[in-house]
Amino acid sequence: MIVQSLQRPQGIRPPQTAAAVEAKPTEARAAAGTQAATIKLSVRNLNFYYGSFQALHDINLDIPAQRVTAFIGPSGCGKSTLLRTFNRIYELYPRQRAEGEILLDGRNVLDRRQDLNLLRARVGMVFQKPTPFPMSIYDNIAFGVRLYERLSRYEMDERVEWALRKAALWDEVKDKLKQNGTMLSGGQQQRLCIARAVAVKPTVLLLDEPASALDPISTAKIEELISELKKDYTIVIVTHNMQQAARVSDYTAFMYMGRLVEMNDTDTLFTTPANKQTEDYITGRYG
Amino acid sequence: MGKNGFSDHTSRQLNETLEGIHERVMAMGGLVEQQLGDALAALISGDMDAAERLQATGETINAMDVELDNRCVTILARRQPAASDLRLVIAVIKAVADLERIGDEAERIGRMALRADQASAYKDLLAGLHELGSGVRASLRDALDSLARLDAEQAVAMVRRDVITDRRYAKLLSRIMERMREEPEAVRELMKLMWAARSLERIGDRCCNLCEHVIYLVKGKTVRHTSPEQLGIRAGVEQG
Repeated sequence: MIVQSLQRPQGIRPPQTAAAVEAKPTEARAAAGTQAATIKLSVRNLNFYYGSFQALHDINLDIPAQRVTAFIGPSGCGKSTLLRTFNRIYELYPRQRAEGEILLDGRNVLDRRQDLNLLRARVGMVFQKPTPFPMSIYDNIAFGVRLYERLSRYEMDERVEWALRKAALWDEVKDKLKQNGTMLSGGQQQRLCIARAVAVKPTVLLLDEPASALDPISTAKIEELISELKKDYTIVIVTHNMQQAARVSDYTAFMYMGRLVEMNDTDTLFTTPANKQTEDYITGRYG
Repeated sequence: MGKNGFSDHTSRQLNETLEGIHERVMAMGGLVEQQLGDALAALISGDMDAAERLQATGETINAMDVELDNRCVTILARRQPAASDLRLVIAVIKAVADLERIGDEAERIGRMALRADQASAYKDLLAGLHELGSGVRASLRDALDSLARLDAEQAVAMVRRDVITDRRYAKLLSRIMERMREEPEAVRELMKLMWAARSLERIGDRCCNLCEHVIYLVKGKTVRHTSPEQLGIRAGVEQG
């Protein structure tokens, strides 16, 4: 299997390829018209286990800053597993462990000394099923902020408005902030969850199939929102809808059976993939 | 409603992407118009400055051909456009190919320019080329106009006027061949004029292609190989 790496600043070693295949340290081309991005997250020799079952095998990849990176692949390939290592959310469950390194701005988040709450503030997550808290829209946003910051009433009001504007939801809810968040439509709930995630000012947003439970119009709005958010955040999205990956992402990584098969800028991966497995998957020949 | 008459998508990016290729193909069309103008100036008036510009402009046109092709392929791969969006991308791919060929023909015309001392002997034929060239320039302008405004009716009208170009070409060709019979020693120069006329006639045909792409884009109707009489009906702009 060929692992393609992104262009990286000098001094950072290229990723190691899987031992079964001769190493091909090729560099992925950046999307046409874009300059090579800086790297926000670096994954090095990552292996992940559910008990004795190994779900991820020797993953090496880089996530560029302020870009959208999509993970695609058939069900069970390890996309969500990989995503969940970035904020160590897997540690909420027993007998799950990660080995290797995940460098966020150069610091290993898998280090035992890493403060998990701080990590999860810096690396926010939105799940497939919208999960608004059973409280007002206002408190849905304020709840997370209160865990990390002490703001005055005025400052909190500002933050709530800011977060809802970021999630393109403010105009729809500004007159009903006291309404329970669960009363919103599915698409609005998901944008509320995004607002909740950005309210604590993360630098990375992890989106685990954020639109798969939504109707096409809500999905389009979420995708438009993702395009806006990437100006300020590094976004990693897992989707089983590869057309969505093609639409919203700058970089796409194709995974299969716990391994990274190919990663490249989305233009290239969807027009001239280097690996036949990738070609077969995106053309619907299997998976 | 977005720019260029397209209605807005939920995705602003998609809007901008589609508007972008439309604008870019119009820019390419503008360059091709300029190319044709320079070629005719070189051929008819012996304008050497115009002749010199042809190669550089031609290279730019070729680069735009490749660029637009790649952009369209990327759109198809990444956005899976449907309906009128899909037809726009297809129309742009086809229009770009025709524009690039028009550019090539224009360059060829420029290369057929005679020396000043030779040109004086063929003023009447050059006048015929001028008439033919002016008509073709108008055709190109109208075709590009219909593409800019997404006007199927204008496109139909332009295709029907191509018969005038064909008649002018046939008449000029006949005169050139008569001259060849009268002056066999001048066949080299007369062949140049004939090739220039042929290139102009081909450009006229390419302009018809552009209009057919406009009709396809706007009406969703394929009107290739349709007679001028049936064109309006097939294009859906006239009642049967």
